[in-house]
Amino acid sequence: MLRNVFTKTLWDGRRSLLGWAIAIAAVGAMYAAFWPTVNTPQMQDAMRNYPQAVLEAFNYNDLASAAGYVGSSVYGLLIPLLVAVFAIAYGTRALAGDEEAGTLDLLLAHPVSRVRTALSRFAALCTALAVVGAVLLLAMLAISGPADLGSITPGEFAAATLQLVLFGALLGALAFAVGAATGRKALAIGVTAGVAVLGYLANGVFPQVRGLAWTRDVSPWHWYLGGEPLKNGLQVGDSLLLLGVTVVLVLCGTWLFNRRDVAV
Amino acid sequence: MADTAIRTEQLVKTYGRSRGLAGLDLEVRRGEVYGFLGPNGAGKTTTIRLLLDLIRPTSGTISVLGLDPRRDGVALRRKVGYLAGDFVVDGRQTGRELLTYLGNLRGGVRRQRVDELAARLDLDLGRRIKSLSKGNRQKVGVVQAFMHDPELLVLDEPTSGLDPFLQQVFVTMVHEAKAAGQTAFMSSHVMGEVQHTADRVGIIREGRLVTVEGVEALRERAVRNVEIHFETPVPADEFAALPGVSGVHADGTVLRCRLDGRADPLVKAASRYTVLSLLSEEPDLEELFFTYYRDGKTADAA
Repeated sequence: MLRNVFTKTLWDGRRSLLGWAIAIAAVGAMYAAFWPTVNTPQMQDAMRNYPQAVLEAFNYNDLASAAGYVGSSVYGLLIPLLVAVFAIAYGTRALAGDEEAGTLDLLLAHPVSRVRTALSRFAALCTALAVVGAVLLLAMLAISGPADLGSITPGEFAAATLQLVLFGALLGALAFAVGAATGRKALAIGVTAGVAVLGYLANGVFPQVRGLAWTRDVSPWHWYLGGEPLKNGLQVGDSLLLLGVTVVLVLCGTWLFNRRDVAV
Repeated sequence: MADTAIRTEQLVKTYGRSRGLAGLDLEVRRGEVYGFLGPNGAGKTTTIRLLLDLIRPTSGTISVLGLDPRRDGVALRRKVGYLAGDFVVDGRQTGRELLTYLGNLRGGVRRQRVDELAARLDLDLGRRIKSLSKGNRQKVGVVQAFMHDPELLVLDEPTSGLDPFLQQVFVTMVHEAKAAGQTAFMSSHVMGEVQHTADRVGIIREGRLVTVEGVEALRERAVRNVEIHFETPVPADEFAALPGVSGVHADGTVLRCRLDGRADPLVKAASRYTVLSLLSEEPDLEELFFTYYRDGKTADAA
């Protein structure tokens, strides 16, 4: 595991990765396990009494089907939030964290190029996200039988999870890019958290205001959830959009990182 | 070019609040130990970080081992060992893990060599770095800089934090590196740190090189206190008139004075009397450097 920058980064983050993967899968499985309770006439009536706007703000669009429930409760808010926090922390640490701690100098004084270092660090982030996604997917598939989620196919679970991972990668890439370009941890976290929150509001809240419907189209949340992958399977267009923006962010960040001075 | 390890021409670096460099012309020959001296903030670390391509020059050229740090950075850094004055690494790993990783980045380093260096510095590689004292952390830094026997050692205030015994070990290591044909570029803000290792010293002040001198030449020029015991009392005036001699104080048979430059006139004058003993202090080069630090122009004229 001490072979190169990629494996070393994964190795250094192993404990945190393990913790996050288990926590995210556990939260997901727990929420999914409530489906039999939610799927009762009394509960459905109770939910219908909430104003539609409130339900939409929380991505609770359709609680009458298993896919609708899991799509909003598991994949709609809490899990993407946890994935976002994990990805932003990882992306910030990738270069800016290392630089602010003063430990980047030593690495870059070795025979590794800046571009390779940056890309290796981001590759580690993608791998970590893939692990989180895989553990979550396994947990969902395992709970699907006991929680009466049989109407959602494994392929649909996989599609939603893949789009979740791409969503995390995009936010991680933004934190990575801001950190790579500026070397400032707080800025990387601030900008990315801001984008994540605005994107969330743009997906569920702004469109309720007349004239702001367009904001939904530029929200990463919409690219992730809009096509309802849990009901409709993998949304190729949305996935490519998430992937494309991620690639552009990583390339821009790496390019700027390669041009600038590394702080002491 | 083959005999030049480092060459910079009109190197300028302006950035942020720091003064940076204002046209630095540096030439370090292959196989020599070069002491790079200057007060804090003079531009020593800036120069070193430019050599390693951690920062980029505003203008001017740099050539290290015949390579351009910007274009051939990876190839260049393979041949360089770098030690920063404040060696900071992630403390959660052991010294062994860190050195294995850094060695792998260089394509592998013999474990035997690492163990040998660690033993010499009395460093326990099995402990987590955060549990080590500052001095012991610095030792880890020393090992990683030397372990691949680089062509060029770039050492930024390397012995800060090491105790006197280890400073002595370090001096020996630099001597050995020189004997093996390696070049060393060592920065410091005190002469004492490079006095025993450097062949030549360059003094930097406010981003410019003030002077470059051989250490021996400096030693010759430095002021030292001399005390001569004679068999019979001697006239002070006779010695006060000698070139380079000042502060003459004759107390019976003992003559004390300050000697600036060569000892020859003083020794010849003393030889006319019977000398019982002669004591000459090690020249205080530090004092000489303070004059450079204070006022570069005076030093230029000297």
